[in-house]
Amino acid sequence: MTDTMTYTCPYCRRPSTGEGANCPNCGAPVDIELRTTAGGWTELPPIADMARIQVGHSQVEVSGRSVPAADWKLAAGEGVYFPHHVLLWQEPSVQLAPMSMRRAWKRMRAGLPLVMLTARGPGRIAFSHDSAGEVIALPLEAGASVDVCEGRLLTASEGVDYDWQDSNVWYSTSGGTDAADTGAGLSVLNMGLKLGGLADDHRDDRRNETEWHYPLGRYVDHFTAGEQPGMVMIGAGGAAFVRDLADGESLLVKPPALLFKDPSVSMQLHVEYPKAGMKLWRTWGNRYLWLRLHGPGRVGVESCYVAEEDPGTDFHDTSGATQQLWR
Amino acid sequence: MTVTDTGQRVECQWCHAHNLPEARSCDRCGAPLDQRDRVSDAGWRQAPRLRDLTQIHFGSSTVQVDGDMVPVAELALDAADSVFFEHHAMLWKDETVPMSVMDTPGGAKRLLGDMPFVLSVARGPGHLALSRDAAGELVVLPIDGSAVVELRGHALLVASGTMTYSFSKAPGLKTAILSGTGLYLDRFEATGEPGVIVVHGFGNVFERTLVEGEIIHVEPGGFLYKDASVSMEVISVDLAAGAEGASKATQGVKAARDMAGRGFRGLKAARALMKDGVSGAVGQVLGGGGAAVLGEALSSSRAATFMALTGPGRVGIQSMYQDRATG
Repeated sequence: MTDTMTYTCPYCRRPSTGEGANCPNCGAPVDIELRTTAGGWTELPPIADMARIQVGHSQVEVSGRSVPAADWKLAAGEGVYFPHHVLLWQEPSVQLAPMSMRRAWKRMRAGLPLVMLTARGPGRIAFSHDSAGEVIALPLEAGASVDVCEGRLLTASEGVDYDWQDSNVWYSTSGGTDAADTGAGLSVLNMGLKLGGLADDHRDDRRNETEWHYPLGRYVDHFTAGEQPGMVMIGAGGAAFVRDLADGESLLVKPPALLFKDPSVSMQLHVEYPKAGMKLWRTWGNRYLWLRLHGPGRVGVESCYVAEEDPGTDFHDTSGATQQLWR
Repeated sequence: MTVTDTGQRVECQWCHAHNLPEARSCDRCGAPLDQRDRVSDAGWRQAPRLRDLTQIHFGSSTVQVDGDMVPVAELALDAADSVFFEHHAMLWKDETVPMSVMDTPGGAKRLLGDMPFVLSVARGPGHLALSRDAAGELVVLPIDGSAVVELRGHALLVASGTMTYSFSKAPGLKTAILSGTGLYLDRFEATGEPGVIVVHGFGNVFERTLVEGEIIHVEPGGFLYKDASVSMEVISVDLAAGAEGASKATQGVKAARDMAGRGFRGLKAARALMKDGVSGAVGQVLGGGGAAVLGEALSSSRAATFMALTGPGRVGIQSMYQDRATG
């Protein structure tokens, strides 16, 4: 085992681990952006406790390490917006108001928050994501955009336009997937119950229904800075990693692990069937769902996510998924 | 490993390998060598927290540990090497990494023990990353020679392809029901070539070595791994036994109340098992959830359940787990 020399000092060109604040060879400040894993990812450094970031005339301070909170000191006339459930505390001087949301019916069906709020200064207001991980700041230059997976938004400055669009990553299956359908032993049991007249009479009806699955979520949040630079803050589970995909470069990630991406990065569902012997039971997990990310552009992933449950039944239709059968 | 004769060695306190004096991390398992003197008063030593971006070598491949709170194991696989793991641990991979599945022994026993029927196998060349989606630590256990390690179910993150995988039954029905570790333990041994397994423990991981005949009681949920030479049984410690001055009549009343309590909890357990009908009850029992319910019903309200581990050999525990309420 060796400590990795994954950092090359841009001044003296000598390799080092890049763990310290300065190059051990020449003392030049370490540029964290130049430190990557062997696979090409850069771990987003957790924002230092009590670090302050200037946004317009306002400031945001990130405090805490396990479940960090973003504490905004809003200047008079400046504001942020956020999903209501991330609010932690605020001073009475902060003015809260509902944010007008378009396409409420679709948002409700997609599980997106129906109520978003705006907060205007002067005063302090703080947000946290209620899960162990990191708070990531995504500063946007004027006119720049970023796509953020649903449920990750913590807060955004009011100069940033918010929209949301279809993720266009989905597949549909035929058949219900209640608990009694999982497991070979239970399938045998259900056959027995059916023969004995004790089975659930509506199970066959459910099997004939089409189920729609959105491994990434049905929609992706889209943020665009206006004429002024802006800030989007998101919550990540566990550690967050980022990398730049070159033009034409592609990579497979587990769909729920995706945090954000540049709009220039395209997405496609990809299914792998591992090389296997006889496939006796359908729930053996003999396929893997992936999200193919196609460059150019920046992508961010998190190391802790809620896994997508694949029912394991045959696909009825997909959003143009590609397949790989390993033999 | 090859060590040039410099007349001085640094012994790794994790895997006991000898390293060059100037080495900062163990060449075999990645442990920082300055951890060797960290031993608690009780004899436990914390598993070495691997430095971010530490690389561990096995065969011609490497594992690099990224992240802190929810660490990621990033593998750079050589064409001659392979690894196996549970499929839900996958985070991202190169498209070119071939996937296959490993048929595992056991059949119906695995179904009964809530163990995966197949393990995923990835073969080089290429990159692959795995994480367990929970806050904790990764520990690397190099295994060679006659060493055999038994591991709590689902705690494995990844094992090198040279390892032989099987499983062993928890001794005795009482142990199987009350231990909280499931009916079976995963078992790894090196046949021929040495290998490594990377284990994920919730929270922090601690280890101690028991001498022959030494016994330690561990809360079942905290158990993580042990050498096969360490025997295991579940014991109940009567919390009321120490009460002094209790008359025989009082003890008789207590005993009757305990029995009534067990009967009541038995009814509650039966109701919980049957809440989804016959199919649901069988599903719970087959899926392992029923064992916990039965364990609750069978335990005395005045007894604490411990896993008694008897040396010689290593024992590893984790500091974060969902405890099974006593009584």
